[in-house]
Amino acid sequence: MLELREVRARRGGAEVLHGLDLTVEAGEVVGVIGPNGAGKSSLLRVLCGLLPPSAGSVSFDGRDLTGLAPEQITRLGIAMVPEGRQIFASLSVAENLRLGARGPLGEAATAEAMERFPILGERCGQRAGQLSGGEQQQLAIARALVGSPRLLALDEPSMGLAPKAIDSIYELLDGVRREGMTILLVEQNVARTIDFCERSVVMSRGVIRAEGERDELQRDPALLRAYLGRQL
Amino acid sequence: MGLMNFAQGEFIMVPAYVLYLLAGVPFGLAAAAALAVGIGLALGAERIAFRPVRDADLSAQLVTSLALATILQSVVMAAIDTRSQSVATPSGLSESSTILGLAVPNLELVSLALGAATLGALSWILFRSRVGLEMRAAAENFEMARLLGVRANRVLSVAFAISGALAALAGILLVTQTGQVSPTMGLTPVVIGFVAVTIGGFGRIGGAVLGGVLLGALSSLLGAYLPDGLQPFRDAIVFSLPVLILIFRPEGLLVRPGGAARI
Amino acid sequence: MHGGLHSPGTVAVSAAAPLALVGLTVAIGASGSPSLQGTVAIALCNLIIVLGLQVFIGNSGVYSFGQLGFAMAGGYLAALLTVPASFSAFQTPGLPALLSEAQLDPLAATLIAVAGSVLLALLVGLPLMRTSTLAIPISTFAFLIVAYNVLANWDAVTGGSGGLVAIPTSTSVTSAGLWAGMAVLAALAFKWSASGYRLQATREDEAAARSLGVRLMGERMVGFVLSAALCGLGGALAAQQSGVLTPNAFYFAATVTTLTMLVVGGVRSVLGATVGALAITVVVETLRGFEEGHRVFGLPSLGETPGLAAIGLGVILLAVMIGRPSGLTGGREAGELLRRRRESCSSSARGHGVRLTSIPREGAHLDRGTKRQELVADGVSLAFGGLQVLRDVSLVLRPGERLGLIGPNGAGKTTLVNVISGFQRADAGSVYLGGGNVSGHSPARLARAGLVRSFQAALPFEQLSCLESVAVGAMGTGAGRRRAVGEARAVLTRLGLLELSAERAGSLPAGSQRLLGIARALATRPRYLLLDEPAAGLNDQEGAELVEALRDVVADFDCGLLLIEHDINLVTELCTRVQVLDQGRTVALGSPEAVQRDPAVIESYLGSGYPAVAGA
Repeated sequence: MLELREVRARRGGAEVLHGLDLTVEAGEVVGVIGPNGAGKSSLLRVLCGLLPPSAGSVSFDGRDLTGLAPEQITRLGIAMVPEGRQIFASLSVAENLRLGARGPLGEAATAEAMERFPILGERCGQRAGQLSGGEQQQLAIARALVGSPRLLALDEPSMGLAPKAIDSIYELLDGVRREGMTILLVEQNVARTIDFCERSVVMSRGVIRAEGERDELQRDPALLRAYLGRQL
Repeated sequence: MGLMNFAQGEFIMVPAYVLYLLAGVPFGLAAAAALAVGIGLALGAERIAFRPVRDADLSAQLVTSLALATILQSVVMAAIDTRSQSVATPSGLSESSTILGLAVPNLELVSLALGAATLGALSWILFRSRVGLEMRAAAENFEMARLLGVRANRVLSVAFAISGALAALAGILLVTQTGQVSPTMGLTPVVIGFVAVTIGGFGRIGGAVLGGVLLGALSSLLGAYLPDGLQPFRDAIVFSLPVLILIFRPEGLLVRPGGAARI
Repeated sequence: MHGGLHSPGTVAVSAAAPLALVGLTVAIGASGSPSLQGTVAIALCNLIIVLGLQVFIGNSGVYSFGQLGFAMAGGYLAALLTVPASFSAFQTPGLPALLSEAQLDPLAATLIAVAGSVLLALLVGLPLMRTSTLAIPISTFAFLIVAYNVLANWDAVTGGSGGLVAIPTSTSVTSAGLWAGMAVLAALAFKWSASGYRLQATREDEAAARSLGVRLMGERMVGFVLSAALCGLGGALAAQQSGVLTPNAFYFAATVTTLTMLVVGGVRSVLGATVGALAITVVVETLRGFEEGHRVFGLPSLGETPGLAAIGLGVILLAVMIGRPSGLTGGREAGELLRRRRESCSSSARGHGVRLTSIPREGAHLDRGTKRQELVADGVSLAFGGLQVLRDVSLVLRPGERLGLIGPNGAGKTTLVNVISGFQRADAGSVYLGGGNVSGHSPARLARAGLVRSFQAALPFEQLSCLESVAVGAMGTGAGRRRAVGEARAVLTRLGLLELSAERAGSLPAGSQRLLGIARALATRPRYLLLDEPAAGLNDQEGAELVEALRDVVADFDCGLLLIEHDINLVTELCTRVQVLDQGRTVALGSPEAVQRDPAVIESYLGSGYPAVAGA
């Protein structure tokens, strides 16, 4: 479904992705882990159109995404939950959701979201800025889902959240996964990510260093090396 | 949305001149024409002058808007006249109606009605329409809005169209109230607006309103209490106010000093 | 002459070119009809004003729309001082006797006018330069309006909106030309002085400049006042050229005209100001000719078309802003333009990476006190955006020590550095330098005390050359230009960047830009150097070379080094101690080897219950 080939990207004059290859099949749940500066966020930014690649190609269902504006890529079915949640604090919960919903099915999708995420249903009239961190993260995910995407990409959803809130988020994501959604999950939390995803890739310094399923990775020294250096 | 626009004054002035040019035409029609021109002008300006410099820094945008303002003003001066012209107030408006035993000038009624209608329409657009929702979201976080499918160009065009409509309305009201148009009539509202924004802090509508109110209040107070000899300097004193405020609160009145990191 | 920042040839050419243009203009004017002479003299006065604009706007990057208020001041002062007493009596009856009876010679009047403008600039500039960068255009605009209003309404003293007449016309083409020549030299001298460079640094990157000790408000004031002096000079001369003066003479139309001249020529350069002023004068006069229905330069007449000049000006300004915002000269001086053409064949891509050479220690660097001083952060806490970013974090750094600061994303490392270096204020806790409490001091003040940082994002001074960029580092902390250049060369040599001296910082590849940022910080001769991810964007070999260079430099300067890094190998090689932050708290502190094996650290990075340690 999603294919990145030889993708290079520059940010602020520096090359942050040095020829990245990644494939995600429909229905797969793939995790991306790695230390800071590895290029994980840049990878997602390239995917959703905020960062134009300097080389290589990104294709979604066979369609080339190069040069498309973010709003166009979203309409093709890729939904992004960016780092830091980025809900619109000054708008109400309901309005936040409605933004994600496009077209005639919008109202129905919004109502459905409020059922699946009961907390949002309760607080639907409140200003989104008043929600707790965990609730905001739920809102961000719900908002992304409301547009009925085909691929859900998340950038560090557990950042800044208390462990209990992280648990709820992952429960929700589990539900989403069970419905057959394709998920690309970038995370800081290695253990949880490897656990949750069928397959994970380890990035550092702009390339993929290791890849595999949970058991393989846990035994692969390349993983630890990526984080803590070769001395170990 | 972070745009500063010298040409806003011209968006007020040009529709006012449309009214002047359509003097014989029934008022309602003329006003509608002026409104249309105002909106069209704003949209055109966005497309031609502002979109190319959208990503440049604010100084570049300021200077571009100054250039546009100069062009518009000069065209009007060249096409019509540099001096101000009188515009006859439509007959219906110069009379008064009796309400609750008081004679109220129709003009005031109409102005009030128009103002209320505009506020109503604006509120409706901003708070109840899809486009308004997108605009509010884009104003808070442009990038995130795009990630949700909001079309950048559309939102900006609508914002400009609305500002053009508001400016046209201001122009229409100014003409009917003062009975005059002049090429430089747009300047004072713009300066007041700019100064108001400086006082109130950027990016906060509440601040701009507060600033405008303060300026207006100060101007009136001075008009009432300033000794005659100093009356001619009223404008000077009023416009010195922002400087005074900025000495103590460099970021404006409503912004808390010291906020977040500067990098 | 310029301490080596530019070759003598560059300096000479850069001064000669605009002077030659002025000379040419004088020659054309002097040989023409009286009306041409008048036009040329006014053009030269305008040039002086445009140079005034260039001095402030070009170097600070901030648009002031009020500089012509100083032209008004200068003009009126000169006029009031030279108008014969008889005319003063009925034009300006309210004027004090001292002024109305004064009838000074042109030179004295002009000089006093300039002095008056300077005083006014000091008065007005103090509050205005305090405001934020965004507010300056608007508040200076307000100043212009206030100035106009005062002049137009204070009938008794200024003649009101009718203005003044009977001003002795003493400005000739030659005298205007002489003053213009001096203005050119003044503008150029300022641009390439230490103060001018510091101001240019604030234009390029405010945060980086402040981190190098540059005081934003102070430097802007200097540029503002000098600019006012030149504008006042132009106004005074213009008033004494035309013999009449109204408040309108230097109001909106003139502001737009002079601004257009500057922008079209190129805001950042003196040559640009000169070229723009003269070129636009020609255009405007041509258009005015058409306005009045004449045939101009052999082109057919357009009939009377009033307003053509103003429209034409607006269109030109708009076109330049959209199409070529850097103007005709691209912001370069004559000497730089020539050099660019000559070197265009040499490649600007330095893909081969950076060569680092180790140079033996020079005694000259060690002129510092022997008092041992520690940098201490004590119990620092900070929350913003609802998140507790730092929780009671403490840190100690001693001279000569190399401390690595590591931790997962969001741990608060950069925030801690921000607090220590004055860019952010902590909610609780303090920072001490050598025993003194420096919490809340501005970055510039800290830099002058020897605490300097670099940034994650390099923040280069794009339009300055590498040598100039690094020299700013030394100038920021008080060095004069000559010494600054010497320091800059030494540091560039040490980091292997000397051959890039003449290249524009903005054209360097990212890795070199980062190195340049470090060089800049080093030029301040810091006691404490805080580097934020210096190795990001460098490949393995470059990283190794950086380690070498930093080790040497730290030993040389005997400074303390704090390094935020994600490359653990680099940290292990370079640092004597490592402190680990996670979620705003210190999780470990010790030698690199100990920290790498610390289970708490592994847990921060990889999460709890991770079995990997067993296998590794």
